[in-house]
Amino acid sequence: MLSVSRLVRLLPALGLLMASFAVEAQNYRVQCPTATNTHPDGNNIKCQQVSGGDGYVTMGDGTQIYLFGFGPLSGLKDIYNGQPGTQVQSVFNTAYGPVTGTPSTLVGQPQSDFTFNGAIGLTQDYNLDPWSEGNTYLAGAYVRNGNKIYRATVSGTSATSRRNNTATGPTGKGADIVDGTVHWAWDSSLLDGHVEARPIMDVGVMNASQPAPLMAIDEDDELFITLTNVGMIMRPDLFEQHTIHFHGYGNASSFYDGVPDASFAVNIGGSFSYYYLAPDAGTYFWHCHVAPAEHLQMGMVGQLYVRPRQNKLTSGASLRAALALWEAAPAPTANPNNSAAWASYEPYRKRCGNDILCSAPIPPANGAIRAATGGYAYNDGDGSTYYDVEYPIQMMGFDPNFHFVGMTFNPEDFIGMKDKYFMLNGRSYPDTVGGYECGKITPETYPGCTGKSVGTVVPGPMQTQSSDGTMHTSQPLPTVINIPLNGKALLRLSNLSTTQFHTLASLGVPMTVVGMHARILRDMAGNNMMYRTNSITIGGGESADVILDATGLPVGSKFYLYTPNLDELSNDAENFGGMMTEVNICNAVDVTTKVCS
Amino acid sequence: MRAMFKSLSSARVVAGLAAAMGSLYAIGSLAAVPGITGTGSSPSFALSAGEALSNQPDGLMIYSWGYGCSSQPAGFAPAGLSGATCPSAQLPGPTMIVHEGDTVTVALTNNLPAAAGNTSIYFPGFNVTATGGHPGVLVQEAPNGAACNKTANPGCNTVTYSFVASTPGTHSYYSGTQGSIQVEMGLFGAIIVLPSTTPTACQDANNVSRAASNANGETDYRLAKNAYNHASTCYDREYLAQLSEIDAKVHVQAKAQVDANTACTSEGGCLNIVTEPYEPTYYLINARSFPDDADPSYAPAYPNQPYNMNPHGHPGELVLLRVIGQGRMQHPFHEHGNHMRVLGRDGNLLVSSTDATKLAGPLSFTTASVPGMAIDSIFYWTGKGVNWDVYGHGFAGDTSVCIPDANGYYTSEPTAPNFYEWCGDHNKALERNPLGQVASGGPMTLPDPNIVLNGAWYSGSAYLSGDANARSTGSTPLPPFGTVLNSNSISSYAFMWHSHDEREITTANVFPGGMMSMMLVDPRQSLGAPVSIDESL
Repeated sequence: MLSVSRLVRLLPALGLLMASFAVEAQNYRVQCPTATNTHPDGNNIKCQQVSGGDGYVTMGDGTQIYLFGFGPLSGLKDIYNGQPGTQVQSVFNTAYGPVTGTPSTLVGQPQSDFTFNGAIGLTQDYNLDPWSEGNTYLAGAYVRNGNKIYRATVSGTSATSRRNNTATGPTGKGADIVDGTVHWAWDSSLLDGHVEARPIMDVGVMNASQPAPLMAIDEDDELFITLTNVGMIMRPDLFEQHTIHFHGYGNASSFYDGVPDASFAVNIGGSFSYYYLAPDAGTYFWHCHVAPAEHLQMGMVGQLYVRPRQNKLTSGASLRAALALWEAAPAPTANPNNSAAWASYEPYRKRCGNDILCSAPIPPANGAIRAATGGYAYNDGDGSTYYDVEYPIQMMGFDPNFHFVGMTFNPEDFIGMKDKYFMLNGRSYPDTVGGYECGKITPETYPGCTGKSVGTVVPGPMQTQSSDGTMHTSQPLPTVINIPLNGKALLRLSNLSTTQFHTLASLGVPMTVVGMHARILRDMAGNNMMYRTNSITIGGGESADVILDATGLPVGSKFYLYTPNLDELSNDAENFGGMMTEVNICNAVDVTTKVCS
Repeated sequence: MRAMFKSLSSARVVAGLAAAMGSLYAIGSLAAVPGITGTGSSPSFALSAGEALSNQPDGLMIYSWGYGCSSQPAGFAPAGLSGATCPSAQLPGPTMIVHEGDTVTVALTNNLPAAAGNTSIYFPGFNVTATGGHPGVLVQEAPNGAACNKTANPGCNTVTYSFVASTPGTHSYYSGTQGSIQVEMGLFGAIIVLPSTTPTACQDANNVSRAASNANGETDYRLAKNAYNHASTCYDREYLAQLSEIDAKVHVQAKAQVDANTACTSEGGCLNIVTEPYEPTYYLINARSFPDDADPSYAPAYPNQPYNMNPHGHPGELVLLRVIGQGRMQHPFHEHGNHMRVLGRDGNLLVSSTDATKLAGPLSFTTASVPGMAIDSIFYWTGKGVNWDVYGHGFAGDTSVCIPDANGYYTSEPTAPNFYEWCGDHNKALERNPLGQVASGGPMTLPDPNIVLNGAWYSGSAYLSGDANARSTGSTPLPPFGTVLNSNSISSYAFMWHSHDEREITTANVFPGGMMSMMLVDPRQSLGAPVSIDESL
């Protein structure tokens, strides 16, 4: 029973309670759980944070061009090195530097000596009130205690030392921890997605990149992408929202589809976390879907691919047997309501049955086994999509006139949109095979610089000075194709042009098209429909998986990938450059760094 | 935007009134694949080519030429579409619906202005014989009525084509005369050839989705039960999207020269139109720009553009999408929501070389439409694999069930609100600590509504159906201003189907517009009543 005087004393505490609810309304935050119903052990939970904003890149003729774009806010070290920025939750969920961040040093990151791959801004949630004894908590209230956060499930008053000798508050990870008359459930660690805005702004502002941060996941992963809208400094008149559209995601919910008309868009100053179970293996891509004619042309496009579960088979295992296993699965449980029952559907989720949209029909009997190295583009069951090293390649064009209008305050011309820069991964030739000058830091640790003299330009990240006076790594991806002797390279091609179809041709190295639109080319009877060619044509919103087979080609030889749309072999007024890159035959290729030896 | 709110909100009023009465919902402004029909196994169509005005959402009326009916057709299909008409010139031309094996006769009368000269119809993929008219470069042409003095010589301006509709599927037809002008001006259309047989698997007795529709009192608006003579081509709904573009400069020149050359007698016409550089200002689906394509078929606002493109479907329903490239440009038409299986191209079913019972067409998420090509594909949506219960089941006291069929879907109860739910995600929570009555313990905390901008097709919750919406959002549903185009009492999922050459989803430099439509996946039931997709409105 409460006396009036105690009630009066409680009022400030109730006020604080309301304040702790406000954590849910915090504008910037990230979501990356350490465990889920699907992955209670925390494995296969992948996370990435990106900024939506503006920035600058450099075209092949030296022109700096203005972007609307996405920048990395996690996995910065990997992004800098041309690798996917997607991280496992244990890496994502790490705090950088002191609790308050290390402000000015983060402007212009990542640079070559930046070694942090976690979420920028993530910090311990000291905004939450610490647990205190003898306090009244309503159900739903959050407190911190030690390095953990607890949520009240039953209202009540916490224990006091006077009555209980020691009152330490809830401990452990229980779901029903009794503390006086209040019941607590463990919620998370103190690293609960709370972020400091300043490091996010330091890294994210004027840091748009082209293409957008690379994403890659494995089948059966859960993917959490947080989009944080940092605003566009050069266009303060535009209150532009942004979204993420996972292009090609099968059986999407419109809620996470990123179409602003069908769900919503993220305002400046806000974060939103998108949630996906990885779709079937294949080459997808992602982009902002707000006013796409404008935001895609202005650069808000990125790459995203899903590696097949076939890659996880142990070396020597039959590829076809794994596919057949799913087809023969026993009937699943009715009305599932726990992890085991849901798991009984997993073979059903993966199998073909009589599904007209089946993604992986079983091939005819064959003896293909999981190779000791390399990977597969699809769950092919016959090894037909094997590759030694993979390269994401985004075909794209920029209309410099539209970008100039985008930077200024003039009406936009969609009818007259005409691309004049033609790019692979946001660069025109010769930048596609360059970008990084060895010797910028001492000691030089950039992977491609081993054994190279100071000043040598190697394929690597390109930087451009933004209007904040700082160099930004806005074009992280070179597109040099290194193939090991007698090996195969998988080109994960996508076209994000807003204006036209593009063709990419191979001089000398035969192409095999193994997949289109993130699906293996195979009829429903299991026959491969793959074909050899010297060129592939795809339109905006299409993707293709092409294998370059270097069998029999001598080490040291150089070939070219180029567009036979000959007017696109140009960088605006320069009539040499454009959509072209080089293919090298190497003794060996590092599958992660792509360095040729 | 004018037409979008005018038309769609009025259609939704029906839903709102129905909700108040607790009876059948109706989702309006749909129409399957409307067209004209003939009689028996020798259907004949009397078409004319004439002038028409194209109504665009920016308020412009664009001078055009189109095919139309010179006399009333024998019938219209599907039955039950109100206001079905076939004017003497329309954009696109009348969709002719025939059956495989029919001997089709098309009499074309040229009522174009004198300066246009002759015209014709080219039927790609069919073996055509022609009587009457004058020989042209590609096909037999209908002489210009003004030039041949049709008043004095009745019938001088008519040519008659005849062919056997040999292959089922979607086909185009268009002018074979001065195509760069006449097709641009609007002289194109579609022929739907329905297959001669219905495989056992496609018959209603074996179609669980049709059983659910019957149980919910939904009318069947299909032209047939299957697209080809093949058991893997069954469908439950069908939509036709003819993609084209307009460069208004061409039309302005045509109008001026037509007016200035009324005495032209040349078979080749008297037009000298500059068509290059070709810079389209309008990108069209069935000759309408978004959002006009969401208005009803035969809506009075578009007297010469009778056909819409406003696809809907329930979970699990097989949706047949017929796409034809009718202009001169390629358009990568991207379908959100799921992949599609390509059935055939230009009326040629693609089957496996080793097992003719299996399809061989690719899976695609973008229909790479090219000029002159027709592509038939099957789409469906179930939500399988999103890894959370889209109906928001699994809360305390929830009595819903999901009993898996052989494929893991709940199809045994035709009137179940969650008919065709993927049972593998049944009761699986999305939200960690939800506000309302939906399962908890999931991975996500949903956003603060203050930091997001809600779209016009956003129902206000993450979930499908008005029940889940009401349970999950409490007494103040989002968006705060009320949903305009996707009522929270039905709470559908909306997926954009649009050209991914993104500049083409603009109308005369204004976004949104152009070659865009919204596909709505409507729940089977909402708030205790069936959700009926009524395509007659």
